[in-house]
Amino acid sequence: MPGDELLRLARILKVPILKRTVKRNWLVDELLKELERRNENSNPPPILNSPAISLQQVTKEFGKTTAVRRLNLNVNPGEIVGLVGPNGAGKTTTLRMLTGIIRATSGKIQVDGHDIQKDALSAKERIGYIPEKPTCYPSLTTREYVMFTARIYGVPHVTTLIRMREFVDLFQFDEFIDSYIGTLSKGNLQRALLIGIFVREPPYVLALDEPIYGLDPRGAWNLKKHLRKLRDQGSAILISTHILEVAADLCDRFVIMNEGDVVGRGTLEELRTLFPTATNLEQIFLSLTGGIPE
Amino acid sequence: MLFNQFKIALFTPSMLLFYGITFCGVYFVSSVVSAFVSFAPLLFSFVSLLEDAIDAKMVFAATAVLSASSIVSGYFGLGPAAVITEEDESLMMTAPVKPHQIFLSRYSRRVIRKVSFLTLGVLSVLPLLMSASLLFYTVISLFAVIIVFFEINYLLGAMSSYVRLWISGKTKRRVRHLAVVVLGILTLLAAHPWGLSAVAAIYVIPSNAFALFLTESTGVLSQGINPVYGFIFIIIGYSICILLTANITSYDYYELFSASKGKEQTEGRFSRIIRGEVDFSESQFNDPMIWIMLKDFWSRLRSPMQIWKYVYAVIGTVFVLYLNIVRPLWFPAILIPLYLSFALVPAFLLMMIMFVQMASITSMLSFVDERDNVYLLKASPFKSGDIILSKYLLSVFEIVVAVIPACGFLVYLLHMEGYLAVVTLVAPLSILFAASGSAIGAYVPVLTNDPKTLPVPLAFSFPIINLGLGGIMVFLIATFAESVLILLVLPLYTLSLVFFFLALSVRALNTYK
Repeated sequence: MPGDELLRLARILKVPILKRTVKRNWLVDELLKELERRNENSNPPPILNSPAISLQQVTKEFGKTTAVRRLNLNVNPGEIVGLVGPNGAGKTTTLRMLTGIIRATSGKIQVDGHDIQKDALSAKERIGYIPEKPTCYPSLTTREYVMFTARIYGVPHVTTLIRMREFVDLFQFDEFIDSYIGTLSKGNLQRALLIGIFVREPPYVLALDEPIYGLDPRGAWNLKKHLRKLRDQGSAILISTHILEVAADLCDRFVIMNEGDVVGRGTLEELRTLFPTATNLEQIFLSLTGGIPE
Repeated sequence: MLFNQFKIALFTPSMLLFYGITFCGVYFVSSVVSAFVSFAPLLFSFVSLLEDAIDAKMVFAATAVLSASSIVSGYFGLGPAAVITEEDESLMMTAPVKPHQIFLSRYSRRVIRKVSFLTLGVLSVLPLLMSASLLFYTVISLFAVIIVFFEINYLLGAMSSYVRLWISGKTKRRVRHLAVVVLGILTLLAAHPWGLSAVAAIYVIPSNAFALFLTESTGVLSQGINPVYGFIFIIIGYSICILLTANITSYDYYELFSASKGKEQTEGRFSRIIRGEVDFSESQFNDPMIWIMLKDFWSRLRSPMQIWKYVYAVIGTVFVLYLNIVRPLWFPAILIPLYLSFALVPAFLLMMIMFVQMASITSMLSFVDERDNVYLLKASPFKSGDIILSKYLLSVFEIVVAVIPACGFLVYLLHMEGYLAVVTLVAPLSILFAASGSAIGAYVPVLTNDPKTLPVPLAFSFPIINLGLGGIMVFLIATFAESVLILLVLPLYTLSLVFFFLALSVRALNTYK
């Protein structure tokens, strides 16, 4: 953590600094002691309800077109579910309904036990969402955006500073932290959005639409590692992706959609029993969504 | 975000330059104009002319019509969702934030920006205001009330959209849209003369409060009522409207916003008839410049506005020819008083420059309309010069098409002696303004990372730059009018500037990030 961030943290934690110059090691020790003291008095992290994500008979119609048809989908805490399908299958529509951007035509959607329509604020407190095309406020710096997001979600200032530093280091984002978001490349924008989500304390209900989009191999590796860690800590993660290798590597089970319908679901082993000749997820996917091209 | 944008404007030299050009240019022009002409006697004669031509009831009716038109157009609009941005969709709509909080934060940003631009605008026309012997604070309050009234109309439109949503939730029958007619009629009834004379409380209605303030503060058609009453009523009306709009902002508007994004249609039904199919494989042209021009032409034609522009060009030209040839009695030319005859030529020139300037905005937008596809164009096997030249030539064509009826109308209205010599200036003005517009449009992606959004300082400085260039052209003509040198000076001035701007455009295109 740079010196100015340590000093800011010291100011917030009310660590007395009586000298004009202080040794870095001493300051870090004092901060750690204060944080340990505060952690002793803090509440244990909340546990998500099971299922954390629940879609029951959810249908979405746009005029005469049915984008999603009677979808039933549950995601429990401690699992990563991959939502895969060709273009126009209804994956993005599903995520947008789940996060409250659009409403289902019929059916029920619950996040952490809260109905997304009737109790939207409680449902959204746990949601972290990355859209298919990442966008963010171009006139804010990344630091300002992360602080803003933290305020929206009620993250304490101390936690914001510590976690922001943790994920800036994880995604190697230090040189861009004070850059305007409008100047970032798409990969860096994706990183900024991820930092904005992870600055909050887990567990989360994550709805990620192509989360690896634009990330370099190291960033993708770090993200996948962190998502597994979050899963193990009790978060519920729903990932929509076209990249079947990522889905196969990361997800515990899959829901395969095609033209608004669910055409297959289960773990990789369960799906293999339906297609004994298929050797990987790609072949299973192609078999379920129109056949393997010759 | 506003603070950061303000910081960016102050600390980015190019942005500061464009803001400086806008402000100083307008201040300079208003100083020059006020030095030549004292507006006080003009204003007084205009006021008495106005009092003879109209009465107070017309003013109330006009403001009621403004409100009614806002309600009718707002009925079919997005309502409070109109202030939501694409970024808000994925960041704010998914956050534990209430819809009215998003609306109020976005709306207040809109108000702050308007107030800032109003302040700059008033400061830049200060010489004109002082020349007209107008009280500064009266003018400020008038401008402020005008803005508040327009905001009230915007909020009324938003509430009208809520009526549509509510009715659509109850019934899907087409007759439900008669509600907009009812709303419009109710708004117009508020300005009925019977109500205005019999019911004092009717002045509380925003359109009437605005008309009351307008007439009483300016003294035009005054009824002797203290304008403070109008001011108080309009502030009360605004407060009620904004609270009501915040109250009706619900999650339904999230759906409306998302649906509007998905249904972004760039062609109306009418334009589909003329859409045509452009098959470059069978094109008789081998010049990529022509292909780019055709691509731009047909792409723009798919916008309803462009169709109407060409319709206006055809009908306008026919109408203008009719006026100038037939000179109908039912539409006489303006009779300029003798004491203003000295101003006829400058007024003609100024209006002609403004018409060409307004038409030349299309050249600035020729790059902005490319949006992110400008990078596709750059990556294609085209020379930068060909890209710039193709956009420039098409812009010249569009400017000429738009300007011909406007200038013909001006010639008829002002009926100036020797107009032919002056109106031919349209040609050099058009080619010059098209070049400056191309240069400014080409610089948008250089100055920002967002090729599709025209920064405000560029948008405001463009007319100032063009007015300056037009002013210099007029000065050169006035200086060399009686010399043969004019045949050299005018083309030299025009063409050298055109080449300069086009070279700037090529440079800009080559420096895209």
